[in-house]
Amino acid sequence: MQTTQYNEEEIMIGEGVGFERIRRITGYLVGTLDRFNNAKRAEERDRVKHSVTSPMERI
Amino acid sequence: MIRQIVKRDGRTVPFDEKKIADAIFKAAKVLGGDNYEMAQDLAHQVVLYLEQQYGEVEPTVEQVQDAVEHTLIENGHSRTAKEYILYRAQRTRVREMNTKLMKIYEDLTFQDAEDNDVKRENANIDGDTPMGTMLKYGSEGAKQFCEMYILDPAYSKAHIDGDIHIHDMDFYTLTTTCCQIDIEKLFRGGFSTGHGFLREPNDIQSYAALGCIAIQSNQNDQHGGQSIPNFDYGMAHGVVKTFRKLYRKNLAKACELLCGMENAEETIKGMMNAIQEETGLYPILADDNGYREEEAKRLGEMMDPALAEHCQQFAHKSAAQETDRSTFQAMEALVHNLNTMHSRAGAQVPFSSINYGTDTSPEGRMVIKNILLATEAGLGNGETAIFPIHIFKVKEGINYNEGEPNYDLFKLACRVSAKRLFPNFSFLDAPFNLQYYKPGDPNTEVAYMGCRTRVMANVHDPSRETTFGRGNLSFTSVNLPRLAIKANHDVDLFFEMLDHEIDLVIDQLMARFRLQASKKVRNYPFLMGQGVWLDSDKLSPDDEVGEVLKHGTLTMGFIGLAECLKALTGYHHGESAESQKLGLEIIGYMRKRMDEESQKTGFNYSLIATPAEGLSGRFVRIDKKRYGIIPGVTDREYYTNSFHIPVYYEINAFDKIRLEAPYHALTNGGHITYVELDGDPSKNLEAFEAVVRCMKEAGVGYGSVNHPVDRDPVCGYTGIIDDVCPRCGRREGEGVSVAHLKRIGAYKNYNADTIGYHGDPHEEADRIPNKV
Ligand SMILES: [Zn+2]
Repeated sequence: MQTTQYNEEEIMIGEGVGFERIRRITGYLVGTLDRFNNAKRAEERDRVKHSVTSPMERI
Repeated sequence: MIRQIVKRDGRTVPFDEKKIADAIFKAAKVLGGDNYEMAQDLAHQVVLYLEQQYGEVEPTVEQVQDAVEHTLIENGHSRTAKEYILYRAQRTRVREMNTKLMKIYEDLTFQDAEDNDVKRENANIDGDTPMGTMLKYGSEGAKQFCEMYILDPAYSKAHIDGDIHIHDMDFYTLTTTCCQIDIEKLFRGGFSTGHGFLREPNDIQSYAALGCIAIQSNQNDQHGGQSIPNFDYGMAHGVVKTFRKLYRKNLAKACELLCGMENAEETIKGMMNAIQEETGLYPILADDNGYREEEAKRLGEMMDPALAEHCQQFAHKSAAQETDRSTFQAMEALVHNLNTMHSRAGAQVPFSSINYGTDTSPEGRMVIKNILLATEAGLGNGETAIFPIHIFKVKEGINYNEGEPNYDLFKLACRVSAKRLFPNFSFLDAPFNLQYYKPGDPNTEVAYMGCRTRVMANVHDPSRETTFGRGNLSFTSVNLPRLAIKANHDVDLFFEMLDHEIDLVIDQLMARFRLQASKKVRNYPFLMGQGVWLDSDKLSPDDEVGEVLKHGTLTMGFIGLAECLKALTGYHHGESAESQKLGLEIIGYMRKRMDEESQKTGFNYSLIATPAEGLSGRFVRIDKKRYGIIPGVTDREYYTNSFHIPVYYEINAFDKIRLEAPYHALTNGGHITYVELDGDPSKNLEAFEAVVRCMKEAGVGYGSVNHPVDRDPVCGYTGIIDDVCPRCGRREGEGVSVAHLKRIGAYKNYNADTIGYHGDPHEEADRIPNKV
């Protein structure tokens, strides 16, 4: 017998909860970008990815 | 005739020629001068010059001081002028200090970390907590005190002006940077933390717990990172002990069950003790030391030999499984502890590093496997652990090639790093590391500390070119772009200025050493008091530490080789082979100067590729103000780390590695090369491993692969999240329905505190345990 009636389609969780983003800054991992100082935030933003295809493959 | 001068606050005061004479005399005295009459004579010339310049207008204090400098230089007293300028700068700073420090305190008190760069200077300290703020009050106050009253004005000026950066100045008068803790030695016979004595640990759980306590205790004595260089070898002893206990328990159980042995536990214990007393043997994981045969003989007297063998097999198999599980739990607890235990008034976790990968004993392998699996699993809710920094030692013959004893663990290390960013990889085959290596002796395996520090050579005692108990004493970095801007494309002039800068840094490091050397053993109850630092066990509490500190390194660092080359030639070393050549000449020259100084003095001067936390913005801010925006040099908010190719520059991973590798050979005080991978490397382990192997082949000493690691705390997904979570489909800040979470199998145990997510069914299902 069910005593409480609720619709699980309507119960929302996670509102206001952000994603965690771990990054490495000067060797240490840091949980959120907020704790970086300004210069480090800029450095992280500027990073470009390094391709792993060899120069031969690119030709 | 000058009667009055205008003070800085606008008030006028009577002019006194004698004050000028006194100031000049003071400056001359520093250089050994004792001619007050000449000082008076010069002071008079200053007055004449002022009258000529300003006529009837009352001069300001600044103008008077300018006139003194001018007169001194005009009269050929340029060295006295230099002293006078320093004296003047010092006075200005003393005047400004109080207001400046109080302004900093005000900002620390009333601004959030979000708005305050000082609070975010070190990303691992939470500047918004009371203890974090208190730490900052102390640190900022100590820095100002040091600049003002401790440092020679020449060093202080160079630091404040941004020619050099004296790292960790808040600890200048207090301690040294870091140490590589030999836990095998530390645990033998137990140790004292300063708050109580801890007995020699008896199983892997307590080995792991004590490992954390050792790191925490030492972190109270030093300001830098704490490293365990022989994590696998050290923890393996705990595994040996746990296995022995569990074997005894299981053998007793089997004997009782299968043979109806009475008092089985007592009987088995007695038998095992007797065997150990008489033969020195005890059961081990490898099962190859003759213990089993010895035990079979004795069990055979109590029961049917076939049954005895059966019991032995059961005991070994069960003990091995339980030991494995116990080791995993111990490693899980260690990672958890190192992420939550506090040092420094509770505002920060210790900066911990552990090195492992080369112990090929079954126990060592069990430690390596389980520390990796615990890291892969993540913290309680699947979060990526921030500490410790893991360094996997790659070595040919041990773990690099198929068929080598720890090759499976190298593969596992790649898999874990591709998911969790750790371990990093150190390469013992790089010639500059290999030269110290002796097979089977972890004390000869180069280890890395924290973000990159490396200590190995030892001119102070060439018979001790070893890892354990040594560390960096202090380091100071040179602003390379500044020198290049000042040299204005003249490479010879650049080297000339660099030479002077190096002289200054060498002297400053030595001055700091003198302060460090005068400290006593009792100032460092753990580091020195427990004999962690090399040879400190030969000292008593009131001895000075200077002599043993000589095993440590005095290190010069550098920032912004890329911007330096850009300023000198128009191209950085990623863009032009010529620039690469010049870059190697510059860093090679810096290293040569360190080596020469080491030979000359018997101190371990070394060169480090500076990690730039807190510094990367400071230098460029000052240079931007001084020289304006120079494209490719001062046009960003940071200077590039050490010898790195700029992060914004498009380059193939393998090219980057090959260009940076030669700098590793030159930077004997530490180095690291990073590669940024796109996408989720867990899904492309071949590419990940290819990058690591390329580092090894190129002669890199220490390297690491960066990739984004995001996590949705609601559904537990760990990987890359752009805007929308690939598992549950929510955007940042959005809610998701319980029904939906249930449908995708990511909902467990909802309550208001935990958002509902515990553990990750998808990851757990994917995990493949390695065989030991
Ligand atoms: Zn999600």
